[in-house]
Amino acid sequence: MNELITSLRRTPYQSLAMFFSLFLTLFLSLLLMFSLTFLYGLLSYVEARPQVTIYFQNETSESSILEVKKELEQSGKVTSVKYVSKNEAYALYRDLNKDNPLLLEMVSAEILPASLEIFASRPSYLPELAAYLEKVPGKDEVNYQKNVVEKLLALTAVVRTGSLAFFGFLMFTTTIILITITHFKVALRKDEIELQRLMGAKASYVRRPFMREALFLGFLSSTIVFAKFSLLIYVAYPYIQSYLRGVQSLSIDLAQYKLVVWPFSIEYVGMLYLILTLFGICIAAFATLFATKKYIAIQRS
Amino acid sequence: MIQFDSVSKIYPFGNAALDSVSFAVERGEFVFLVGTSGAGKTTILKLILGELYPTSGSVLVEDVDISGKRFKKLETLRRHIGVIFQDFKVLPDKNVFENIALGLRILDMPFSKIKTEVREALALVGLHDKEQFFPVQLSAGELQRVAIARAMTGDRHIILADEPTGNLDPKTTWDIMKIFKKVEKHKTIIFATHNTDVVNTLKKRVITMKGGKLIKDNAKGGYDL
Repeated sequence: MNELITSLRRTPYQSLAMFFSLFLTLFLSLLLMFSLTFLYGLLSYVEARPQVTIYFQNETSESSILEVKKELEQSGKVTSVKYVSKNEAYALYRDLNKDNPLLLEMVSAEILPASLEIFASRPSYLPELAAYLEKVPGKDEVNYQKNVVEKLLALTAVVRTGSLAFFGFLMFTTTIILITITHFKVALRKDEIELQRLMGAKASYVRRPFMREALFLGFLSSTIVFAKFSLLIYVAYPYIQSYLRGVQSLSIDLAQYKLVVWPFSIEYVGMLYLILTLFGICIAAFATLFATKKYIAIQRS
Repeated sequence: MIQFDSVSKIYPFGNAALDSVSFAVERGEFVFLVGTSGAGKTTILKLILGELYPTSGSVLVEDVDISGKRFKKLETLRRHIGVIFQDFKVLPDKNVFENIALGLRILDMPFSKIKTEVREALALVGLHDKEQFFPVQLSAGELQRVAIARAMTGDRHIILADEPTGNLDPKTTWDIMKIFKKVEKHKTIIFATHNTDVVNTLKKRVITMKGGKLIKDNAKGGYDL
Protein backbone atom coordinates (compact mmCIF):
# COMPACT_ATOMS: atom_id res chain seq x y z
CA MET A 1 0.00 0.00 0.00
CA ASN A 2 2.84 2.39 0.87
CA GLU A 3 4.48 1.73 -2.49
CA LEU A 4 1.18 2.43 -4.22
CA ILE A 5 0.76 5.74 -2.41
CA THR A 6 4.36 6.69 -3.19
CA SER A 7 3.81 5.82 -6.83
CA LEU A 8 0.64 7.95 -6.99
CA ARG A 9 2.29 10.87 -5.20
CA ARG A 10 5.32 10.72 -7.45
CA THR A 11 3.26 11.42 -10.59
CA PRO A 12 0.05 13.00 -9.30
CA TYR A 13 -1.03 14.73 -12.51
CA GLN A 14 -0.53 11.64 -14.63
CA SER A 15 -2.45 9.56 -12.10
CA LEU A 16 -5.25 12.13 -12.05
CA ALA A 17 -5.37 12.20 -15.86
CA MET A 18 -5.55 8.40 -15.89
CA PHE A 19 -8.34 8.44 -13.30
CA PHE A 20 -10.43 10.98 -15.20
CA SER A 21 -10.00 9.20 -18.54
CA LEU A 22 -11.17 6.00 -16.92
CA PHE A 23 -13.97 7.82 -15.12
CA LEU A 24 -15.38 9.31 -18.31
CA THR A 25 -15.11 6.06 -20.26
CA LEU A 26 -16.64 3.97 -17.52
CA PHE A 27 -19.45 6.46 -16.93
CA LEU A 28 -20.43 6.43 -20.60
CA SER A 29 -20.05 2.66 -20.75
CA LEU A 30 -22.32 2.23 -17.76
CA LEU A 31 -24.86 4.57 -19.31
CA LEU A 32 -24.80 2.50 -22.53
CA MET A 33 -25.01 -0.76 -20.65
CA PHE A 34 -27.90 0.50 -18.56
CA SER A 35 -29.81 1.87 -21.57
CA LEU A 36 -29.30 -1.29 -23.58
CA THR A 37 -30.39 -3.67 -20.85
CA PHE A 38 -33.44 -1.52 -20.18
CA LEU A 39 -34.30 -1.36 -23.86
CA TYR A 40 -33.95 -5.13 -24.20
CA GLY A 41 -36.12 -5.55 -21.12
CA LEU A 42 -38.73 -3.29 -22.69
CA LEU A 43 -38.55 -5.22 -25.95
CA SER A 44 -39.09 -8.53 -24.15
CA TYR A 45 -41.96 -6.95 -22.30
CA VAL A 46 -43.68 -5.74 -25.45
CA GLU A 47 -43.02 -9.01 -27.25
CA ALA A 48 -44.66 -10.88 -24.40
CA ARG A 49 -47.79 -8.74 -24.67
CA PRO A 50 -50.73 -9.97 -26.78
CA GLN A 51 -49.84 -9.36 -30.38
CA VAL A 52 -53.45 -8.83 -31.48
CA THR A 53 -56.25 -7.82 -29.20
CA ILE A 54 -59.88 -7.70 -30.24
CA TYR A 55 -62.34 -5.71 -28.16
CA PHE A 56 -66.02 -6.60 -28.46
CA GLN A 57 -69.08 -4.41 -28.36
CA ASN A 58 -71.02 -4.42 -25.09
CA GLU A 59 -73.96 -6.36 -26.52
CA THR A 60 -71.80 -9.21 -27.86
CA SER A 61 -72.55 -12.36 -25.89
CA GLU A 62 -69.88 -14.35 -24.12
CA SER A 63 -70.82 -17.46 -26.14
CA SER A 64 -70.14 -15.62 -29.44
CA ILE A 65 -66.78 -14.51 -28.13
CA LEU A 66 -65.87 -18.02 -27.00
CA GLU A 67 -66.92 -19.26 -30.43
CA VAL A 68 -64.40 -16.86 -32.04
CA LYS A 69 -61.79 -18.05 -29.53
CA LYS A 70 -62.43 -21.68 -30.50
CA GLU A 71 -62.12 -20.90 -34.22
CA LEU A 72 -58.86 -19.09 -33.66
CA GLU A 73 -57.42 -21.99 -31.63
CA GLN A 74 -58.40 -24.43 -34.37
CA SER A 75 -56.74 -22.31 -37.10
CA GLY A 76 -53.26 -23.51 -36.03
CA LYS A 77 -51.96 -19.97 -36.39
CA VAL A 78 -52.01 -19.00 -32.74
CA THR A 79 -50.05 -20.21 -29.74
CA SER A 80 -52.68 -19.03 -27.28
CA VAL A 81 -55.86 -17.03 -27.02
CA LYS A 82 -56.88 -15.50 -23.73
CA TYR A 83 -60.43 -14.41 -23.00
CA VAL A 84 -60.67 -11.33 -20.75
CA SER A 85 -64.22 -10.83 -19.54
CA LYS A 86 -65.72 -7.46 -18.57
CA ASN A 87 -65.23 -8.26 -14.88
CA GLU A 88 -61.62 -9.32 -15.40
CA ALA A 89 -60.96 -6.16 -17.42
CA TYR A 90 -62.47 -4.12 -14.58
CA ALA A 91 -60.29 -5.92 -12.01
CA LEU A 92 -57.21 -5.13 -14.11
CA TYR A 93 -58.29 -1.52 -14.47
CA ARG A 94 -58.78 -1.19 -10.69
CA ASP A 95 -55.38 -2.67 -10.05
CA LEU A 96 -53.64 -0.32 -12.51
CA ASN A 97 -55.40 2.76 -11.14
CA LYS A 98 -55.54 1.86 -7.48
CA ASP A 99 -53.79 5.13 -6.57
CA ASN A 100 -56.28 7.29 -8.47
CA PRO A 101 -59.76 7.17 -6.83
CA LEU A 102 -61.17 9.65 -9.34
CA LEU A 103 -60.49 7.30 -12.25
CA LEU A 104 -61.94 4.39 -10.28
CA GLU A 105 -65.16 6.28 -9.60
CA MET A 106 -65.69 7.13 -13.25
CA VAL A 107 -65.53 3.57 -14.55
CA SER A 108 -67.63 0.49 -13.91
CA ALA A 109 -67.41 -3.09 -15.25
CA GLU A 110 -70.24 -2.34 -17.66
CA ILE A 111 -68.38 0.18 -19.77
CA LEU A 112 -65.25 -1.91 -20.16
CA PRO A 113 -65.27 -4.24 -23.18
CA ALA A 114 -64.60 -7.96 -23.11
CA SER A 115 -61.62 -8.92 -25.24
CA LEU A 116 -59.51 -11.72 -26.69
CA GLU A 117 -55.71 -11.49 -26.40
CA ILE A 118 -54.15 -13.44 -29.21
CA PHE A 119 -50.52 -14.59 -29.53
CA ALA A 120 -49.64 -15.60 -33.09
CA SER A 121 -47.41 -18.65 -33.57
CA ARG A 122 -45.48 -16.69 -36.26
CA PRO A 123 -45.24 -12.92 -36.80
CA SER A 124 -46.15 -13.52 -40.46
CA TYR A 125 -49.63 -14.70 -39.40
CA LEU A 126 -50.38 -11.40 -37.73
CA PRO A 127 -51.82 -9.53 -40.76
CA GLU A 128 -53.98 -12.53 -41.66
CA LEU A 129 -55.30 -12.85 -38.12
CA ALA A 130 -55.95 -9.12 -37.90
CA ALA A 131 -57.85 -9.21 -41.21
CA TYR A 132 -59.96 -12.14 -39.98
CA LEU A 133 -60.75 -10.36 -36.69
CA GLU A 134 -61.80 -7.20 -38.48
CA LYS A 135 -64.67 -9.18 -40.02
CA VAL A 136 -65.85 -10.83 -36.80
CA PRO A 137 -69.43 -9.84 -35.93
CA GLY A 138 -69.71 -7.79 -32.74
CA LYS A 139 -66.13 -6.53 -32.85
CA ASP A 140 -65.54 -3.04 -31.55
CA GLU A 141 -61.83 -2.56 -32.19
CA VAL A 142 -58.79 -4.59 -33.23
CA ASN A 143 -55.44 -3.63 -31.74
CA TYR A 144 -52.59 -4.83 -33.83
CA GLN A 145 -49.16 -4.44 -32.10
CA LYS A 146 -46.93 -5.45 -34.97
CA ASN A 147 -45.80 -1.88 -35.58
CA VAL A 148 -44.90 -1.29 -31.96
CA VAL A 149 -42.72 -4.42 -31.81
CA GLU A 150 -41.14 -3.63 -35.15
CA LYS A 151 -40.38 -0.06 -34.11
CA LEU A 152 -38.91 -1.19 -30.83
CA LEU A 153 -36.86 -3.88 -32.60
CA ALA A 154 -35.55 -1.29 -35.04
CA LEU A 155 -34.78 1.11 -32.21
CA THR A 156 -32.98 -1.61 -30.23
CA ALA A 157 -30.93 -2.56 -33.28
CA VAL A 158 -29.96 1.06 -33.90
CA VAL A 159 -29.09 1.65 -30.26
CA ARG A 160 -27.12 -1.60 -30.11
CA THR A 161 -25.14 -0.84 -33.27
CA GLY A 162 -24.64 2.77 -32.24
CA SER A 163 -23.58 1.74 -28.75
CA LEU A 164 -21.12 -0.83 -30.05
CA ALA A 165 -19.57 1.67 -32.45
CA PHE A 166 -19.39 4.34 -29.78
CA PHE A 167 -18.08 1.84 -27.25
CA GLY A 168 -15.36 0.74 -29.67
CA PHE A 169 -14.36 4.34 -30.31
CA LEU A 170 -14.37 5.04 -26.58
CA MET A 171 -12.24 1.97 -25.89
CA PHE A 172 -9.73 2.90 -28.57
CA THR A 173 -9.44 6.52 -27.48
CA THR A 174 -9.13 5.65 -23.80
CA THR A 175 -6.53 2.98 -24.46
CA ILE A 176 -4.44 5.45 -26.48
CA ILE A 177 -4.75 8.08 -23.74
CA LEU A 178 -3.83 5.59 -21.02
CA ILE A 179 -0.87 4.30 -23.03
CA THR A 180 0.37 7.86 -23.51
CA ILE A 181 0.01 8.67 -19.82
CA THR A 182 1.79 5.47 -18.82
CA HIS A 183 4.57 6.27 -21.31
CA PHE A 184 5.05 9.54 -19.47
CA LYS A 185 5.17 7.78 -16.14
CA VAL A 186 7.67 5.22 -17.39
CA ALA A 187 9.81 7.95 -18.97
CA LEU A 188 9.90 9.80 -15.65
CA ARG A 189 11.33 6.70 -14.01
CA LYS A 190 13.61 5.80 -16.89
CA ASP A 191 16.81 5.97 -14.83
CA GLU A 192 15.43 3.78 -12.10
CA ILE A 193 14.10 1.25 -14.58
CA GLU A 194 17.41 1.17 -16.44
CA LEU A 195 19.25 0.59 -13.18
CA GLN A 196 16.85 -2.13 -12.10
CA ARG A 197 17.28 -3.91 -15.42
CA LEU A 198 21.07 -3.66 -15.14
CA MET A 199 20.86 -5.22 -11.70
CA GLY A 200 18.84 -8.15 -12.97
CA ALA A 201 15.25 -7.14 -12.31
CA LYS A 202 12.72 -9.17 -14.24
CA ALA A 203 10.32 -7.32 -16.54
CA SER A 204 7.43 -8.34 -14.29
CA TYR A 205 9.15 -6.74 -11.28
CA VAL A 206 9.73 -3.47 -13.13
CA ARG A 207 6.18 -3.49 -14.43
CA ARG A 208 4.65 -4.27 -11.04
CA PRO A 209 4.24 -0.71 -9.64
CA PHE A 210 2.68 0.51 -12.87
CA MET A 211 0.32 -2.44 -12.96
CA ARG A 212 -0.57 -2.05 -9.31
CA GLU A 213 -1.42 1.58 -9.85
CA ALA A 214 -3.43 0.81 -12.99
CA LEU A 215 -5.44 -1.89 -11.23
CA PHE A 216 -6.08 0.41 -8.30
CA LEU A 217 -7.18 3.30 -10.53
CA GLY A 218 -9.35 0.94 -12.61
CA PHE A 219 -11.07 -0.30 -9.47
CA LEU A 220 -11.36 3.13 -7.88
CA SER A 221 -12.77 4.84 -10.96
CA SER A 222 -15.31 2.08 -11.63
CA THR A 223 -16.47 2.16 -8.01
CA ILE A 224 -16.82 5.94 -7.99
CA VAL A 225 -18.60 5.88 -11.36
CA PHE A 226 -21.00 3.29 -10.02
CA ALA A 227 -21.67 5.31 -6.87
CA LYS A 228 -22.29 8.49 -8.89
CA PHE A 229 -24.53 6.67 -11.34
CA SER A 230 -26.51 5.08 -8.50
CA LEU A 231 -27.05 8.53 -7.07
CA LEU A 232 -28.33 9.79 -10.43
CA ILE A 233 -30.68 6.84 -10.73
CA TYR A 234 -31.89 7.45 -7.18
CA VAL A 235 -32.77 11.02 -8.13
CA ALA A 236 -34.42 9.91 -11.38
CA TYR A 237 -36.21 6.94 -9.79
CA PRO A 238 -39.63 8.64 -9.37
CA TYR A 239 -39.57 9.67 -13.03
CA ILE A 240 -38.65 6.17 -14.23
CA GLN A 241 -41.34 4.75 -11.97
CA SER A 242 -43.97 7.08 -13.33
CA TYR A 243 -42.89 6.36 -16.94
CA LEU A 244 -43.11 2.62 -16.38
CA ARG A 245 -46.37 2.79 -14.49
CA GLY A 246 -48.33 -0.38 -15.07
CA VAL A 247 -45.27 -2.38 -16.04
CA GLN A 248 -44.92 -5.06 -13.41
CA SER A 249 -41.37 -6.04 -14.33
CA LEU A 250 -38.82 -5.91 -17.13
CA SER A 251 -36.40 -8.75 -17.65
CA ILE A 252 -33.86 -10.00 -20.13
CA ASP A 253 -32.96 -13.58 -20.94
CA LEU A 254 -29.32 -14.46 -20.35
CA ALA A 255 -28.93 -18.03 -21.64
CA GLN A 256 -30.97 -20.01 -19.09
CA TYR A 257 -31.23 -17.17 -16.62
CA LYS A 258 -33.91 -14.50 -16.52
CA LEU A 259 -32.42 -11.27 -15.19
CA VAL A 260 -34.92 -8.81 -13.76
CA VAL A 261 -33.89 -5.28 -14.66
CA TRP A 262 -36.99 -3.50 -13.35
CA PRO A 263 -37.68 -3.09 -10.50
CA PHE A 264 -33.91 -3.05 -9.91
CA SER A 265 -32.85 -6.44 -8.63
CA ILE A 266 -29.72 -7.14 -6.57
CA GLU A 267 -28.54 -9.47 -9.36
CA TYR A 268 -28.88 -6.74 -12.00
CA VAL A 269 -27.16 -4.08 -9.93
CA GLY A 270 -24.41 -6.56 -8.93
CA MET A 271 -23.91 -7.59 -12.55
CA LEU A 272 -23.60 -3.97 -13.69
CA TYR A 273 -21.02 -3.26 -10.98
CA LEU A 274 -19.08 -6.44 -11.70
CA ILE A 275 -18.93 -5.83 -15.46
CA LEU A 276 -18.00 -2.18 -14.92
CA THR A 277 -15.21 -3.03 -12.46
CA LEU A 278 -13.85 -5.80 -14.66
CA PHE A 279 -13.92 -3.47 -17.64
CA GLY A 280 -12.17 -0.69 -15.71
CA ILE A 281 -9.47 -3.02 -14.45
CA CYS A 282 -8.97 -4.75 -17.81
CA ILE A 283 -8.66 -1.56 -19.85
CA ALA A 284 -6.22 -0.01 -17.35
CA ALA A 285 -4.17 -3.21 -17.14
CA PHE A 286 -4.08 -3.70 -20.92
CA ALA A 287 -2.95 -0.13 -21.59
CA THR A 288 -0.26 -0.37 -18.91
CA LEU A 289 0.97 -3.71 -20.17
CA PHE A 290 1.20 -2.36 -23.68
CA ALA A 291 2.91 0.89 -22.63
CA THR A 292 5.48 -0.74 -20.37
CA LYS A 293 6.39 -3.46 -22.84
CA LYS A 294 8.38 -1.12 -25.06
CA TYR A 295 10.48 0.51 -22.35
CA ILE A 296 11.06 -2.45 -20.11
CA ALA A 297 12.39 -4.95 -22.61
CA ILE A 298 16.16 -5.50 -22.55
CA GLN A 299 17.43 -4.36 -25.91
CA ARG A 300 20.89 -5.71 -26.74
CA SER A 301 22.69 -4.02 -29.54
CA MET B 1 35.28 -17.03 -14.56
CA ILE B 2 35.02 -14.47 -17.35
CA GLN B 3 36.44 -15.38 -20.73
CA PHE B 4 36.72 -13.41 -23.95
CA ASP B 5 37.64 -15.49 -26.97
CA SER B 6 38.55 -13.52 -30.12
CA VAL B 7 35.81 -11.02 -29.42
CA SER B 8 35.14 -8.30 -31.94
CA LYS B 9 32.45 -5.70 -31.72
CA ILE B 10 31.51 -3.53 -34.62
CA TYR B 11 28.82 -0.95 -33.95
CA PRO B 12 26.30 -0.01 -36.63
CA PHE B 13 27.81 2.20 -39.35
CA GLY B 14 31.04 0.22 -39.13
CA ASN B 15 32.66 1.68 -36.03
CA ALA B 16 34.88 -1.12 -34.66
CA ALA B 17 35.03 -0.96 -30.84
CA LEU B 18 36.86 -4.26 -30.22
CA ASP B 19 39.11 -6.21 -32.51
CA SER B 20 39.65 -9.87 -31.71
CA VAL B 21 40.15 -9.46 -27.98
CA SER B 22 40.95 -12.54 -25.89
CA PHE B 23 41.56 -12.78 -22.15
CA ALA B 24 40.30 -14.63 -19.11
CA VAL B 25 39.66 -13.41 -15.57
CA GLU B 26 39.63 -15.99 -12.80
CA ARG B 27 37.19 -15.96 -9.92
CA GLY B 28 38.38 -13.60 -7.13
CA GLU B 29 40.79 -11.77 -9.40
CA PHE B 30 41.27 -7.96 -9.44
CA VAL B 31 41.96 -6.62 -12.92
CA PHE B 32 42.58 -3.07 -14.06
CA LEU B 33 41.36 -2.27 -17.53
CA VAL B 34 43.27 0.71 -18.83
CA GLY B 35 43.39 2.66 -22.04
CA THR B 36 42.58 6.02 -23.53
CA SER B 37 39.03 7.11 -24.25
CA GLY B 38 37.57 5.00 -27.05
CA ALA B 39 40.03 2.15 -26.44
CA GLY B 40 37.16 -0.31 -25.79
CA LYS B 41 37.08 -0.53 -21.98
CA THR B 42 33.40 0.30 -21.61
CA THR B 43 32.53 -2.00 -24.50
CA ILE B 44 34.22 -4.88 -22.62
CA LEU B 45 32.19 -4.09 -19.49
CA LYS B 46 28.98 -3.83 -21.50
CA LEU B 47 29.67 -7.17 -23.15
CA ILE B 48 30.14 -8.82 -19.74
CA LEU B 49 26.92 -7.26 -18.53
CA GLY B 50 25.07 -8.39 -21.63
CA GLU B 51 24.13 -4.91 -22.75
CA LEU B 52 25.93 -5.66 -25.98
CA TYR B 53 26.53 -8.87 -27.87
CA PRO B 54 29.74 -9.53 -29.81
CA THR B 55 29.84 -9.27 -33.58
CA SER B 56 32.16 -12.30 -33.56
CA GLY B 57 33.89 -14.45 -30.95
CA SER B 58 32.45 -15.58 -27.65
CA VAL B 59 31.96 -14.15 -24.19
CA LEU B 60 31.66 -16.53 -21.24
CA VAL B 61 30.52 -15.26 -17.86
CA GLU B 62 30.34 -17.74 -14.96
CA ASP B 63 31.02 -20.39 -17.59
CA VAL B 64 27.88 -19.46 -19.51
CA ASP B 65 28.16 -18.34 -23.10
CA ILE B 66 26.22 -15.10 -23.37
CA SER B 67 27.31 -14.22 -26.90
CA GLY B 68 24.00 -14.98 -28.61
CA LYS B 69 21.78 -12.03 -29.41
CA ARG B 70 18.80 -13.87 -28.01
CA PHE B 71 20.43 -15.06 -24.78
CA LYS B 72 17.48 -15.56 -22.46
CA LYS B 73 18.91 -15.63 -18.96
CA LEU B 74 20.37 -12.15 -18.75
CA GLU B 75 18.36 -11.28 -15.64
CA THR B 76 19.71 -14.29 -13.76
CA LEU B 77 23.26 -13.46 -14.87
CA ARG B 78 22.96 -9.79 -13.93
CA ARG B 79 21.92 -10.71 -10.41
CA HIS B 80 25.52 -11.86 -9.89
CA ILE B 81 27.05 -8.68 -11.27
CA GLY B 82 27.42 -5.35 -9.50
CA VAL B 83 28.06 -2.26 -11.61
CA ILE B 84 29.64 1.01 -10.53
CA PHE B 85 29.51 3.98 -12.85
CA GLN B 86 31.58 7.13 -13.15
CA ASP B 87 28.41 9.24 -12.76
CA PHE B 88 27.26 7.13 -9.77
CA LYS B 89 23.68 6.62 -11.03
CA VAL B 90 22.29 7.18 -7.56
CA LEU B 91 18.56 7.90 -7.74
CA PRO B 92 17.86 11.43 -6.49
CA ASP B 93 14.38 10.75 -5.14
CA LYS B 94 15.47 7.85 -2.95
CA ASN B 95 17.47 8.06 0.22
CA VAL B 96 20.74 6.19 0.82
CA PHE B 97 18.99 3.16 2.30
CA GLU B 98 16.51 2.91 -0.58
CA ASN B 99 19.23 3.32 -3.18
CA ILE B 100 21.26 0.48 -1.74
CA ALA B 101 18.16 -1.66 -1.19
CA LEU B 102 17.28 -1.37 -4.89
CA GLY B 103 19.37 -4.36 -5.87
CA LEU B 104 17.93 -6.46 -3.06
CA ARG B 105 14.31 -5.55 -3.62
CA ILE B 106 14.41 -6.96 -7.13
CA LEU B 107 15.19 -10.34 -5.54
CA ASP B 108 11.90 -10.08 -3.60
CA MET B 109 13.88 -10.47 -0.39
CA PRO B 110 12.05 -9.99 2.95
CA PHE B 111 12.48 -6.50 4.38
CA SER B 112 14.23 -7.70 7.55
CA LYS B 113 16.92 -9.33 5.42
CA ILE B 114 17.20 -6.26 3.19
CA LYS B 115 17.69 -4.11 6.29
CA THR B 116 20.50 -6.34 7.58
CA GLU B 117 22.29 -6.47 4.23
CA VAL B 118 21.98 -2.74 3.59
CA ARG B 119 23.38 -1.94 7.04
CA GLU B 120 26.31 -4.29 6.47
CA ALA B 121 27.01 -2.59 3.15
CA LEU B 122 26.73 0.87 4.76
CA ALA B 123 29.21 -0.17 7.43
CA LEU B 124 31.56 -1.43 4.72
CA VAL B 125 31.58 1.91 2.90
CA GLY B 126 31.48 3.99 6.09
CA LEU B 127 28.07 5.56 5.62
CA HIS B 128 26.24 3.90 8.50
CA ASP B 129 25.20 7.31 9.90
CA LYS B 130 23.78 8.57 6.59
CA GLU B 131 21.14 5.94 5.95
CA GLN B 132 18.28 8.44 5.67
CA PHE B 133 20.20 11.08 3.71
CA PHE B 134 19.15 11.96 0.19
CA PRO B 135 21.72 12.22 -2.64
CA VAL B 136 21.49 16.00 -2.69
CA GLN B 137 22.86 16.01 0.87
CA LEU B 138 25.92 13.92 -0.04
CA SER B 139 29.33 14.72 -1.49
CA ALA B 140 30.61 13.10 -4.70
CA GLY B 141 32.74 10.66 -2.71
CA GLU B 142 29.78 9.68 -0.58
CA LEU B 143 27.62 9.20 -3.64
CA GLN B 144 30.22 6.87 -5.09
CA ARG B 145 30.28 4.94 -1.82
CA VAL B 146 26.51 4.53 -2.06
CA ALA B 147 26.96 3.19 -5.58
CA ILE B 148 29.65 0.79 -4.37
CA ALA B 149 27.49 -0.39 -1.49
CA ARG B 150 24.65 -1.00 -3.93
CA ALA B 151 26.91 -3.01 -6.22
CA MET B 152 28.18 -5.16 -3.35
CA THR B 153 24.84 -6.25 -1.89
CA GLY B 154 23.13 -9.50 -2.72
CA ASP B 155 24.94 -12.37 -4.29
CA ARG B 156 26.98 -10.15 -6.61
CA HIS B 157 30.43 -11.66 -6.89
CA ILE B 158 31.48 -9.89 -10.10
CA ILE B 159 32.03 -6.15 -9.78
CA LEU B 160 32.36 -4.05 -12.91
CA ALA B 161 33.63 -0.56 -12.16
CA ASP B 162 33.55 1.88 -15.06
CA GLU B 163 35.97 4.66 -14.12
CA PRO B 164 34.49 4.95 -10.62
CA THR B 165 37.08 7.50 -9.48
CA GLY B 166 36.91 9.58 -12.64
CA ASN B 167 34.96 12.38 -10.95
CA LEU B 168 36.72 12.27 -7.59
CA ASP B 169 39.62 14.17 -6.03
CA PRO B 170 42.82 12.21 -5.10
CA LYS B 171 41.99 11.82 -1.40
CA THR B 172 38.45 10.59 -2.07
CA THR B 173 39.83 8.31 -4.78
CA TRP B 174 42.07 6.60 -2.22
CA ASP B 175 39.16 6.30 0.23
CA ILE B 176 37.21 4.54 -2.48
CA MET B 177 40.16 2.30 -3.37
CA LYS B 178 40.37 1.21 0.27
CA ILE B 179 36.83 -0.10 0.02
CA PHE B 180 37.78 -2.11 -3.07
CA LYS B 181 40.81 -3.48 -1.20
CA LYS B 182 38.50 -4.65 1.60
CA VAL B 183 36.30 -6.72 -0.67
CA GLU B 184 38.75 -7.90 -3.32
CA LYS B 185 39.23 -11.33 -1.75
CA HIS B 186 35.56 -12.23 -2.13
CA LYS B 187 34.80 -10.67 -5.49
CA THR B 188 35.97 -10.70 -9.07
CA ILE B 189 36.67 -7.06 -9.87
CA ILE B 190 37.19 -5.50 -13.28
CA PHE B 191 38.15 -1.89 -12.79
CA ALA B 192 38.27 0.37 -15.85
CA THR B 193 40.27 3.49 -15.14
CA HIS B 194 42.51 6.28 -16.43
CA ASN B 195 44.04 6.85 -13.02
CA THR B 196 47.78 6.22 -13.33
CA ASP B 197 48.50 6.56 -9.59
CA VAL B 198 45.92 4.01 -8.57
CA VAL B 199 47.07 1.45 -11.16
CA ASN B 200 50.76 1.93 -10.44
CA THR B 201 50.35 1.81 -6.67
CA LEU B 202 48.15 -1.23 -6.34
CA LYS B 203 50.27 -3.52 -8.55
CA LYS B 204 47.43 -5.67 -9.82
CA ARG B 205 46.93 -7.34 -13.15
CA VAL B 206 46.55 -4.72 -15.89
CA ILE B 207 44.92 -5.26 -19.27
CA THR B 208 45.85 -2.41 -21.59
CA MET B 209 43.58 -1.55 -24.51
CA LYS B 210 44.32 0.67 -27.49
CA GLY B 211 42.04 1.32 -30.46
CA GLY B 212 39.90 -1.72 -29.64
CA LYS B 213 42.88 -4.06 -29.37
CA LEU B 214 44.35 -5.69 -26.30
CA ILE B 215 47.94 -4.60 -26.41
CA LYS B 216 49.22 -5.73 -23.00
CA ASP B 217 48.16 -8.09 -20.26
CA ASN B 218 50.60 -7.90 -17.31
CA ALA B 219 50.08 -9.84 -14.09
CA LYS B 220 51.53 -7.08 -11.91
CA GLY B 221 51.75 -4.27 -14.33
CA GLY B 222 51.47 -0.55 -14.26
CA TYR B 223 49.85 2.15 -16.33
CA ASP B 224 51.99 2.12 -19.40
CA LEU B 225 50.55 4.08 -22.28
